[in-house]
Amino acid sequence: MASLGVAALVCAPAAAQSPEQLKTGAEIYERNCSPCHGARMLDPQGAADLKKFPHDQRERFINSVTRGKNQMPPWGDLLKPEEVEALWAYVAGAESVHSH
Amino acid sequence: MKFIAPAAAVLLLSATAVTAQTLDELKNDGKNPDNILTYGMGYAQQRYSPLKQIDTSTVKRLVPVWNLSLNNDWGEQAQPIVYNGVMYVTNARATVAIDVATGKQIWKQTLDWPPDTPRVVCCGVSNKGAAIYNGKVYRTTLDAHVVAYDAKTGKEIWKTKVAEWKDGFSLTVAPLVANGVLITGISGAEYGVRGFIDGWDPETGKQLWRHYTIPARGEKGNETWPQDNNAWQTGGGSAWITGSYDPELDLMYWGIGNPAPWASQSRPGDNLYTSSVLAMRPKTGEVAWYYQFTPNDAYDYDSCWELILADLNVQGRPRKVAMQLNRNGFLYVLDRTNGALISAKAYGKVNWASHVDMKTGRPVETEIARSIRSGKPTEHWPSTRGAKNWEAAAFNPQTGLLYANTLNEGRMYQHLETKPFVVGQRYMFIENLPLPRAAGEPIGHIEAIDPLTAEKKWSVPLTDFQMWSAMLATGGGLLFTGKETGEFIALDAGTGKQLWQFQTGSGINAMPVTFTQNGRQYVTVLSGVGGLYWNIAREQLKDKVPQGGSVWTFALMPD
Repeated sequence: MASLGVAALVCAPAAAQSPEQLKTGAEIYERNCSPCHGARMLDPQGAADLKKFPHDQRERFINSVTRGKNQMPPWGDLLKPEEVEALWAYVAGAESVHSH
Repeated sequence: MKFIAPAAAVLLLSATAVTAQTLDELKNDGKNPDNILTYGMGYAQQRYSPLKQIDTSTVKRLVPVWNLSLNNDWGEQAQPIVYNGVMYVTNARATVAIDVATGKQIWKQTLDWPPDTPRVVCCGVSNKGAAIYNGKVYRTTLDAHVVAYDAKTGKEIWKTKVAEWKDGFSLTVAPLVANGVLITGISGAEYGVRGFIDGWDPETGKQLWRHYTIPARGEKGNETWPQDNNAWQTGGGSAWITGSYDPELDLMYWGIGNPAPWASQSRPGDNLYTSSVLAMRPKTGEVAWYYQFTPNDAYDYDSCWELILADLNVQGRPRKVAMQLNRNGFLYVLDRTNGALISAKAYGKVNWASHVDMKTGRPVETEIARSIRSGKPTEHWPSTRGAKNWEAAAFNPQTGLLYANTLNEGRMYQHLETKPFVVGQRYMFIENLPLPRAAGEPIGHIEAIDPLTAEKKWSVPLTDFQMWSAMLATGGGLLFTGKETGEFIALDAGTGKQLWQFQTGSGINAMPVTFTQNGRQYVTVLSGVGGLYWNIAREQLKDKVPQGGSVWTFALMPD
């Protein structure tokens, strides 16, 4: 856990994302992801808690969304690669857009 | 083979005779306890059997007699069908025929839907069960098809596409066969579909009729939708729980789902016929009458739940009624000949409406409802999941009581700004966050409920996990139901006291049945955690309850 914490700090992900990307990601999240992962990632219930998703594992996130993971269906047929990237920007940088 | 062939030929002949099961048998389901031919154990969907070999004193000798793996991790919700010693079971992945005497698999037909289909399935990848008629077994598929199999061999006879799944349509509903027509509903209101109910020719799969649950422009009822936008075209109104049927009146009763999107600001008006019941003619789909439970539903108060038919004595007068423990927190009793409202009493905590006006039949909304409609985060009871969800109740005509697994849950609910419709994507625009909960406050109950007063004869609080399994009532004074933690349980129907339990291999969120063979009473339930509650509570359940579907059948240990 200590190493994850350090990695997340080192990545400083939000700094790398544009505001447009964050906004697109937030919209995609609200429509398609929040029913399972919870509004603003606050109430994940049975799905993965994305607030805890390691910020240095972009590739894992992109692969899981695109190809599906466990009970989550693949989204690669619906979302364009840049939309999945925007979703990653939102998930990795959510602290900068939500004050909670 | 030489020796077997003649025997097989005889079997084949007799099989043709035994599988040529008829409409009369469907009408009389429940009168021959060897068979279970309809969803709800009879067209009235009372989930009641008069069988009493297993009763409050003998149930302690109830033991498993066989178990069959279904090799499925998606969850089991189906009600088995039993005909002449063969049980038919479905899940999202397969249809299985089983010898009820031995538990041996006779045939299995698997389905191969695209892996991204669950994208358009809001609430659990599942199937509620099969229908049987005239030698064929019918089922629906997640990717929006209806299929007919030969009941004897499992061979596919026809498969008809109902709709394009990528447009948000899916099917999990168990079909209904009524007056010679095969009838199915649809899922997809969370994706902005325009719902419908279909009638099919059971022999060929040809569509006989389609009745949209939302009327088109120019049709009666469309005036309850905005006339300056096309909200009606994406207005929801699914039908994902099988309708009940009264053969004498030749009316079937389908509960209709919520409007879309859940946030209501873009669709002022009553939004007929969402969150309603439609009384329909099976031959044509014609609607004889309707009743709307929640006009302009802003709360996902989907009304698909079972409409239980019974004859009740109402103020000294026998009435043919249809009863529903509606998601909106009120227990409705309607005259099923004409849709007249007889009773509507709250059976759980309700804060969005004060009561149902008996003159207008409409709920009287409170400040809470106005707060939700104005877009403010609002503490809302019952939550969008309802005071009861799909887990079907039972009605015992001997006691006159309903028995149900109910929910006791409010949430912080908020409508968000709505955005343009995108085909095949979520169309909801809400936030729905948990409320703080006092320690020990029940999250649900097992209850015996008077249909006309909604008074509880007894109530068993649940404080660990809600129960999302249907109820079965028997003439032996018992109730059977299941827990998400895997226990299949029998309760004393008079007191709610648990008399027996058996730990199955996974969680139970399915529909138990009871039947006889050679004079011996059996009880069957599917085990396999899944469905909406698994989506909700997976984090709490996953370390205790493994996935994996199977069929469990029980009978009394011989003396």
